[in-house]
Amino acid sequence: MTTLADTYKERRSQMLVPLAERLEKHLRGVFEGYVRIDRISVRAKSIERFVAKAEKQTDGKLKYDDPLNQIQDQIGARIVTFYKSDVDQLTEEVKKYLRYIESRQIVPDSEREFGYEGRHFILFLPRDIFDESVKEEESIPFFELQIKTLFQHAWSESEHDLGYKPSAELSSDQKRRLAFTAAQAWGADQIFEELYRQTTLGKP
Amino acid sequence: MEIGSIHSFLVHPGKNQEEPHDINGTAVTKNGRLFDMLKRVFDSADNECQHHISFVPDTEAEQRNECRDSFLGYLTNCDVPSGRHIAKRLQGVTTNKSGLGLLFLMVGEHKGETKLMVSRFPADSGILAEEKARGLSVEFLERIFMKSATSYKAAVYSGRSHDRDFWKGKAVDKQINSAESYISNYWIRDFLRSDFLTPGEAGTRRFAVAVRDAMNQTSDSKVKEDIAALHHFVSGMPKKVVSARDVLNQFHVSEGTQQEIKTKFHREALFEERFRFVPDEFVKHVAFKTVELDNGGLLTASTDRFDNVFTKDIVDQLQEIVKFSTQGKVVDQRFRKTKS
Repeated sequence: MTTLADTYKERRSQMLVPLAERLEKHLRGVFEGYVRIDRISVRAKSIERFVAKAEKQTDGKLKYDDPLNQIQDQIGARIVTFYKSDVDQLTEEVKKYLRYIESRQIVPDSEREFGYEGRHFILFLPRDIFDESVKEEESIPFFELQIKTLFQHAWSESEHDLGYKPSAELSSDQKRRLAFTAAQAWGADQIFEELYRQTTLGKP
Repeated sequence: MEIGSIHSFLVHPGKNQEEPHDINGTAVTKNGRLFDMLKRVFDSADNECQHHISFVPDTEAEQRNECRDSFLGYLTNCDVPSGRHIAKRLQGVTTNKSGLGLLFLMVGEHKGETKLMVSRFPADSGILAEEKARGLSVEFLERIFMKSATSYKAAVYSGRSHDRDFWKGKAVDKQINSAESYISNYWIRDFLRSDFLTPGEAGTRRFAVAVRDAMNQTSDSKVKEDIAALHHFVSGMPKKVVSARDVLNQFHVSEGTQQEIKTKFHREALFEERFRFVPDEFVKHVAFKTVELDNGGLLTASTDRFDNVFTKDIVDQLQEIVKFSTQGKVVDQRFRKTKS
């Protein structure tokens, strides 16, 4: 019997990996004139992460009843930039060159909390990356794009790594420490943005 | 693909009207001459609808579009009430100038793939001429609905999953380049609440990069000359819906140069795709820098290569005198008249 993992594995190797490579090249071309980009990377979601996401439950029920069609970050792209104002500018640039069905600034739920931050888009794959080997009409339509500052990126990568450890559940104290590092990353972004505005843009 | 259901609705103008006209609708039987005609329209929809479009989300943070929702509702029920919901939407954006229209909704299915076609036939008047045994009978007819060559509109969507698909489709709008903006916005922007799948900047950038690559990679001076002329014309072109082929034809670019540019496109479909042209974006990628000296010298090269082609030395800083030098093989030389 073909499992979900088998089906995704085949899709990943035949469609997602080649599209991810082409999309990365395409995005590098589109944003080549933007000076304060640290990196642009695109990946096809790993089989393990896809299956784990497909098996997620909410209120005792599977979150996705058709994960191959419902999970939209099977291809994920990330642009890491220097300052918070770069995130805003790149957000506008993305809207100029790509079509989206969702654009969200993700911030913690309350102003008393510190945690994950970033701009997330669900975008149509550009028509430029398809050819006869991966046909547009047979492809998934979307990819996810995250735009983050260096500090937002660094924090989310470490937090993600810790969250995926076998002894996953963090203690209250450990969670507090993670929130502390998020607060530091948030503060560093604020100060670098201020310094950038003062030294480069000549604004207070 | 076999047609599963067809519904038709008579849509009166209703934009900004407090009490719009009632909308009457009916199911169309799947036989007879009307069905045969609609079947031909349905079968040729993919070829006829050449504008790639996508729905625009109602709000940034939510993956919803009310027009798409009404289409999904119709795909689920395929009945008059759900179709009337779409007709009401069309009525709400239809002005008196756009006039009366007949809306057709057609759904077909093949091997798990569903296709939805939405089309509007504008009302017209005409003359019916019937030959009879003892002569000819002519009669004036109102409310003839024609697949008009100048104002017919349609959109077609295909997919397998309501979650994943039906976000993008293809459309035809014979009035897309109308100077009257409300006409050009009526079908795609107002009714379908959509836009071109490839944004203007992206389509223009794709075209400009192909032109730039053709210019940089060719040794044919005719191609370079054509592109220099194209740059001059295109940078002043208004924002209009065009394909790369349209632009090259419009400015009578030679067949050889067109072929050279076309080969720089990843695939032919992109050379033919229409997008809203953005002149500033074109100039960002295809630019020529010209320096004129007070001795009459004129130096020109593409902007991104100018500093590599010409070396600049300062001879006298105070007098602002500079020396440019370059080295290469002469591939073309010509004389032009200057204005007196």
